[in-house]
Amino acid sequence: MQDPDQPPAEQPGWLQIILIGRRPELTFVRIAVLVAVCVVVFKFVLLPIRVEGISMEPTYHNHQLNCVYRLAYLRHEPRRGDVVAIRFSDPGSFSAPSQMLMKRIIGLPGESVAFHDGHAYINGRPLDEPYLKFSCDWEHEPIQCGTNQYYVVGDNRSMPFENHMQGRADRSHLVGNPLL
Amino acid sequence: MKIAVRLVLLAALAGLGCWLWTVLFPSPEKLVLRKISNLAANACLGADEGNLSRAAKASQVVGEFAGDAEIVVDIPGYAAHTLSGRDEIREAVLGGFANVASLNVRFLDARARVAADKQTAEVSCTARVSVGGSQDFGIQELHFQLKQVEGDWRIARVETVKTLQ
Repeated sequence: MQDPDQPPAEQPGWLQIILIGRRPELTFVRIAVLVAVCVVVFKFVLLPIRVEGISMEPTYHNHQLNCVYRLAYLRHEPRRGDVVAIRFSDPGSFSAPSQMLMKRIIGLPGESVAFHDGHAYINGRPLDEPYLKFSCDWEHEPIQCGTNQYYVVGDNRSMPFENHMQGRADRSHLVGNPLL
Repeated sequence: MKIAVRLVLLAALAGLGCWLWTVLFPSPEKLVLRKISNLAANACLGADEGNLSRAAKASQVVGEFAGDAEIVVDIPGYAAHTLSGRDEIREAVLGGFANVASLNVRFLDARARVAADKQTAEVSCTARVSVGGSQDFGIQELHFQLKQVEGDWRIARVETVKTLQ
């Protein structure tokens, strides 16, 4: 019961309620928790990225925004057809890289990858790639993936083979896959 | 309450002391990374920089290398080649600087490892280079080896790394 001799508790003004709420200490705790969660999520779980370049056209466009989900391969190994982000230096590290390659996995460890008349061949068999929209005339001898290597290539194969960055990426370089 | 304030002040003072210590006596890793960062800064050219300024910057770039330094370049689409010694590096840098309107070089995600004897070090990083103010840029993974020469870190070897083999 309220003491009749004590003055009533002062009500916060509407501006204070809008800016920092009725209980500022709770608001500050909420902000601190939110900032901590954002830092952890956007540094270690979802890396915000901007796609630069046209090697993944038409699946991903130049300057498109996306996020790389870093926990994608905690429970299973990368699969054929997955689009993956590949880090440059410092393989295996959990520090967030600022530059990554974005490519699609077409060859799994131990497989050989060849290109004939613009089509990819895995262990001598043609690979069905419904995501390809541009014509391609690549010719290349089979390339053998190591036991821990994945063959990655972009979806835009309209450019000459030599100008398209592709090849075998070590498992330790695969960061995750794009969320969208 | 007074004790709490004193403890906070003491902690702040200790933090400040630690920070000052790292500023005044940087670790070898920091010195090595600073060297790589200086190299990137000196390799950047503005569009308005004249020949004298470019020559001075080229000289600063070359000055970061040891006398017997090597640069090994092996990137797709180009024949592999090696630059040996400061003279060859100077020639290549001057030629490169003369042929671009502007140049922006950044070494990202740099990680340094200093050997136990603190006489050699290795740095892995990703170079991001754009030429002529273009939005397009080139990316190349690089591996540096540095060594102590008369108390200063100098770059002994630079080689390109094939991220995709």
